[in-house]
Amino acid sequence: MAAIYSLYIINKSGGLIFYKDYGSAGRMDTNDSLRVASLWHSMHAISQQLSPIAGCSGVELLEADTFDLHCFQSLTGTKFFVVCEPGTQHMESLLKYIYELYTDFVLKNPFYEMEMPIRCELFDINLAQAVQKERVALLGR
Amino acid sequence: MPTAGPRSGDAIFASVERVNAELFTLTYGATVRQLLTDLEEVEEVNKQLDQMGYNIGIRLIDEFLAKSNISRCVDFKETADVIAKVGLKMFLGVNATVTNWDAEGTCCSIVLEDNPLVDFVELPDTCQGLHYCNILSGVIRGALEMVSMKTEVTWLRDMLRGDDSFELQVKLLKQVPEEYPYKDDE
Amino acid sequence: MIGVGKIKQYSNVLERPLSKGKQEVSLSAFAFLFSELVQYNQTQVDNIAELERRLEDAGYAVGARVLELFCHREKGNRRETRLLGILSFVHSTIWKVLFGKVADSLEKGTEHEDEYMISEKELLVNRFISIPKDMGAFNCGAFVAGIVRGVLDNAGFPAVVTAHFVPVEGQQRPRTTILIKFAEEVLAREARLG
Repeated sequence: MAAIYSLYIINKSGGLIFYKDYGSAGRMDTNDSLRVASLWHSMHAISQQLSPIAGCSGVELLEADTFDLHCFQSLTGTKFFVVCEPGTQHMESLLKYIYELYTDFVLKNPFYEMEMPIRCELFDINLAQAVQKERVALLGR
Repeated sequence: MPTAGPRSGDAIFASVERVNAELFTLTYGATVRQLLTDLEEVEEVNKQLDQMGYNIGIRLIDEFLAKSNISRCVDFKETADVIAKVGLKMFLGVNATVTNWDAEGTCCSIVLEDNPLVDFVELPDTCQGLHYCNILSGVIRGALEMVSMKTEVTWLRDMLRGDDSFELQVKLLKQVPEEYPYKDDE
Repeated sequence: MIGVGKIKQYSNVLERPLSKGKQEVSLSAFAFLFSELVQYNQTQVDNIAELERRLEDAGYAVGARVLELFCHREKGNRRETRLLGILSFVHSTIWKVLFGKVADSLEKGTEHEDEYMISEKELLVNRFISIPKDMGAFNCGAFVAGIVRGVLDNAGFPAVVTAHFVPVEGQQRPRTTILIKFAEEVLAREARLG
């Protein structure tokens, strides 16, 4: 059973630049994923404004009946979020690790244009391994 | 697991993969040489180097943040310190000091103790106006812009031009507040 | 001197002792610089062949200097005069100092007498680079091919040097082969030397 359903990366203006579906059921089409991304971008921004705590950096975890959504936003405004099975562990460290993969295989790639959709083979390969490792860690417990 | 709290420049530099500085130095030299051939005018080369640095800066900042675990700096003083102590160290392995603060705390100098860009370099008579290390000032400007700080970065002293050290002046022009991504529907 | 730093001042670069080549920078610093070098060159060309040529030119400039520097430092101002000697100098000494390891392999071409290949599972300059599909067989290793050509040419072994992706069985990613095709005169000289 896959613990991670999907992964999104949104640029600082709210554009979806990367989307990967890991679930076997309930796959989303492109329009739906774009909708989720822009919805989350807005909700995240609103949460920052609504928070009673000054300097709040936005929602980090959304828990629903059927899924959890973990979000990491870099100081430069890029958001990484995963949708996963409720209660899935280690998602913050996974997101942090994906951020590092992004700095390596996306930002150091001369053929990647900033803020544009990510199409980098090496990023895909390394990401697949990272998600796999995460699964292995879960299975091993 | 991610380590809690910021990491020192030394610790990061010791833990990241490193390459021979000569590969870096000579590659940079080849870049400058290409620009001199393509653009001919030294002033144009200075501009292009700054632009290339900026392009690097807007990408490199994310790696800096990811590897250093640094959260938002409280003020520009802390920012300058972090560039000197952590940033320059983790990428170039060099030590730097921050000095010459103005009264407002918006302008300071970063003095480099070492500079791997300039090994083997001597400016020929035809290139006396060249700011050989201009890429570095561009990197800092680009990186800071991505964390909402508009700056002006200029070389005050340059050993290739006969000065006794490398000194960069970093001047904060404007701190752009984080903008709420919506406009009211008026 | 308002000595904040520890830099010793030399009025002239020639008076400075030659560095021992033990200094390091982060791989990231190099990768960002190299990426920007490729991006800049992309703005200067109309097609992939030209981009390849320009990266090779940049590499050539590095190679020419590397030869001088290493012959002086590593070999007491002597340089190889025989074909196999210079090839192994590139594959071992140069690779080790520039890329931190000896190249994975050095082979003689099976079809042509004048061809040699240096192969690397993962070329340092390609570590973070994914080539877009529309760029076909383009390989940023052209820069490394340029370094090799710069070394060989300045050592008196003119050659055509190119970088190619070669698929490896059971591997997701192809390796890079630097193909060296020596000029006729080089082979003739070797034959004379016996």
